[in-house]
Amino acid sequence: MKLLFSLLVACGLMAASLAHAAVDADAAQAQLKKSDCLKCHSVDKKKDGPSFKETAKKYKGKADAEEKLTKHITTNPTIEIDGKKEEHKSLKTKDAAEIKNVVQWILAQ
Amino acid sequence: MPKRLISKVRRWAAARRAIVVLAAGFGLAWVGLTLFGTTMVYTSTEAFCATSCHEMANNSNMEYIGSSHDRNRTGVRATCVDCHVPHAPIPLYIAKMGALNDLWSHHVTHTVDTREKFEAQRPKMAQRVWTYMKGNDSRECRHCHTPANMDPDKQSPIAIARHEKGKREKLTCVDCHFGITHHEPKSGPGPQELDVDRSLIPRSAIF
Amino acid sequence: MFKKIIGRIRAWGSRPGSLFILIAGLAVGGVSFASFGSFMVYANSEHFCANACHEMQPLQKEHKGTIHDMNRSGVRATCNDCHVPHEYVPNYLAKLGLLSDVWGHWTGSIDTKAEFDAKRYELAKRVWVYMKSNDSRECRHCHTTAKMDPDKQTEKALKRHEKGRLEGLTCIECHFAIAHTEPDGPGPQELFSVKAAAADAPASAAAPVSTRKD
Repeated sequence: MKLLFSLLVACGLMAASLAHAAVDADAAQAQLKKSDCLKCHSVDKKKDGPSFKETAKKYKGKADAEEKLTKHITTNPTIEIDGKKEEHKSLKTKDAAEIKNVVQWILAQ
Repeated sequence: MPKRLISKVRRWAAARRAIVVLAAGFGLAWVGLTLFGTTMVYTSTEAFCATSCHEMANNSNMEYIGSSHDRNRTGVRATCVDCHVPHAPIPLYIAKMGALNDLWSHHVTHTVDTREKFEAQRPKMAQRVWTYMKGNDSRECRHCHTPANMDPDKQSPIAIARHEKGKREKLTCVDCHFGITHHEPKSGPGPQELDVDRSLIPRSAIF
Repeated sequence: MFKKIIGRIRAWGSRPGSLFILIAGLAVGGVSFASFGSFMVYANSEHFCANACHEMQPLQKEHKGTIHDMNRSGVRATCNDCHVPHEYVPNYLAKLGLLSDVWGHWTGSIDTKAEFDAKRYELAKRVWVYMKSNDSRECRHCHTTAKMDPDKQTEKALKRHEKGRLEGLTCIECHFAIAHTEPDGPGPQELFSVKAAAADAPASAAAPVSTRKD
């Protein structure tokens, strides 16, 4: 029983660390900078658009968070600011792994 | 012949001591002020400011290199002094007295002399700069960037919309344009969250 | 020898009022230094340069709306930025040219539009020669070629700048008439290029060819 329990804990920890290790913070931040995201979004401060912390809070606990956020930053959706409609810009990469990394990093803030 | 001339001048000078002393004071003032001015100009160069102390060379300068104020389409640049101290001479000299604090920190207290210490102090330093810039309505930015001379045909619709919003909400440049040259600190309030009473500080503020 | 000088200074210094006179001299020196500097700063301003003499008004009008006046970022270049050196002593020396401007103003050399148009080419040529001779130093004060981001420039610009670099051209040889109206007559490349000098001189001195590109 004890052995099973400790094995499960070990697996859980490994999975958690793997998921965490999967997010390359440096690469994510570099991509965000390259794609000009940081012109409007700060990590935790009020700038133009919502901060990544706010975004993470908004999507916390939601099952489709990753999917929704990925769509938001890759499909140029129309957003409304001060009553005016604008197109939200996309990441400057088409690589799925890079996009996933960025999305996961944002949601982890 | 020269000897006679010199003795003549000496006798004249001794008799008109006052003029000679006055001229000496005058000359001393010019020489002294020229030396002072030259020092001020030299300590305002990018080479001096960005590289003479390792705290700046290893941190701030590294972040600055490659940023839009360093490298861009036209090659028109802004260096340390262009953003961080006033441009007008007297306010500049007064602001440079703040360098004494930098010297104190560098030689005595070593507040930011390692990467870890620098990162720990980063939020405080950033907030100090933002407060300064908010307090004088981004005067240093406006020295180069004249909003009235921004061609709307050359700006994107987003930029135009944002600047109009900024005007309406009485924001100043640094409220949105922060973290563009140096890394944003990972914690602490941003410019829009800082409480700076701008009504009390005139545009021509020295500090 | 030194002792004598020091002896003399002590003798004078001990006389009543010497210190006061010295301080007065320092004060006069300081005030004159500051005044000179302030005047130089003012004389370098667009406000002075464009408005002090009516002859400069049309030139300011030409500058208005051009890329050095109005552009995406609002970063501007005014009269002194292009036409006089930025370093202090060269700037002051160049300002001695004010004397010839004052002379021109009194003698009415470009007083009316007709007179100005007649002299426009000569004035332009003078500026081009000045800029070529110092390798467009005033341009380079702001525009640092090594810090021009190739990712942000167009292909055309990159090609042209490379070509210019290989042919030993300076900024003004292509970027002329960007702030003021282009005069009729040989342009900088015709004036300075080795090819033009090698070509038969009589032909180029005959009818000036318009350098307009449109």
